[in-house]
Amino acid sequence: MSRRGYFLEQGWYLDHAAGASMSPGQDMLLRSHLEVSVPARAHAVSMARIGGAMLESVEDKGELAFDADDIFALDEAFDAARTPPEPAAAIPAAAVDRPECLPAVLCDFIDREGIKLRWEFLGPGLRKAMLWHGESDERLWLLRARPGVAIPRHGHRGTELTLVLQGSFLDGDQRYVRGDVEEADPGVEHDIQIGEGEECICLALTQGKLRFDDPLLRALQVFTGL
Amino acid sequence: MGMAAPSQAGLMDAAELAGLVERIGADRDREAFRRLFDHFAPRVRGFLVRRGLPSAQADDLAQDTMLAIWRRAESYDVAKSAVSTWVYTIARNLHIDQYRKLARADRVDLTDPSLRPGEIPAADELYARGQDASAVSEALQTLPEDQRRVLELAFMEGLSHSDIAVRLVLPLGTVKSRIRLAMDKLKLSLGDLQ
Repeated sequence: MSRRGYFLEQGWYLDHAAGASMSPGQDMLLRSHLEVSVPARAHAVSMARIGGAMLESVEDKGELAFDADDIFALDEAFDAARTPPEPAAAIPAAAVDRPECLPAVLCDFIDREGIKLRWEFLGPGLRKAMLWHGESDERLWLLRARPGVAIPRHGHRGTELTLVLQGSFLDGDQRYVRGDVEEADPGVEHDIQIGEGEECICLALTQGKLRFDDPLLRALQVFTGL
Repeated sequence: MGMAAPSQAGLMDAAELAGLVERIGADRDREAFRRLFDHFAPRVRGFLVRRGLPSAQADDLAQDTMLAIWRRAESYDVAKSAVSTWVYTIARNLHIDQYRKLARADRVDLTDPSLRPGEIPAADELYARGQDASAVSEALQTLPEDQRRVLELAFMEGLSHSDIAVRLVLPLGTVKSRIRLAMDKLKLSLGDLQ
């Protein structure tokens, strides 16, 4: 975790490791980040080790309601009840426009929730696909940006987390690549320059609508829904 | 073994636990499972009770955890984590799944990143990892009380870092910096903690 500013704050990793409840959007962003960032994953492992040590230190005075033989019996019942696995289904039509860079945990989420990726116009060279919309206006969405495109200066009413899945972008002189997360706090204004060479695909979690300085873009927001 | 086992870890050291899981994975060794069961079932149950689960539910989840261990032992890799970390992660995922109403022993998320760290550890690191829980426990004891308290509230009571700030009546920033300081200190004392 050496590159400062490319990871989430420690509290996120701790909440994940400790199994604290978080919104589906937060959970998905965090687990996608862990899947594609090796240093973040190593950090999550460190934190899980603390959980392991704490588990070892627990003393239970209560009486267990089951024993090892119950587990063997459950195991046999489990096998008996099990239906043979269905043959692998053909790739659903919805997967066609699914970029290859999407983490497996995110693909599972999309399948499980039955989400159809609908890529919509967000601005010149920019498309978005909404994945999830939660309480307090929290949104999880995918961004596809053409190489070299600029995202105009904007602020946020809430936190904005952006995880790079493919390509890169520049915020000022910081360059974000696959696995990196940018955490922009409320009030922070920034403009983003998409890296050259490759389409940039990001998973974003935002709270509240983005605030563009440009009145024209504000008008455009009526249509784009962000 | 140069290191004294911490008193609370009790009867078996980390290498012994790993040996048991490997025997279960390779041979479906019931005797090995019984010993592992005696070690972990009460701990997992006690852990879940501390996390606020009612007794009956804690029993159910502890049972699911033990069942998952029995069924999935072959996926355990001693080079990647200590048994206590593996068991903790299974119990945690089942616990999370339960509040997501998805609980089932065969749905334990074995794709969890905590179960497959990115790097293959060097051979001399295996010893350190084998010592896992006891080394981590010792390192935890060296933390200043206020930092250790934050980690305990997170793992033992399942509080999020913002809940912890509320509980301790502290600014969120203070909790965040305690987590950061604690992790930095643990990495220093444990070396192989990334």
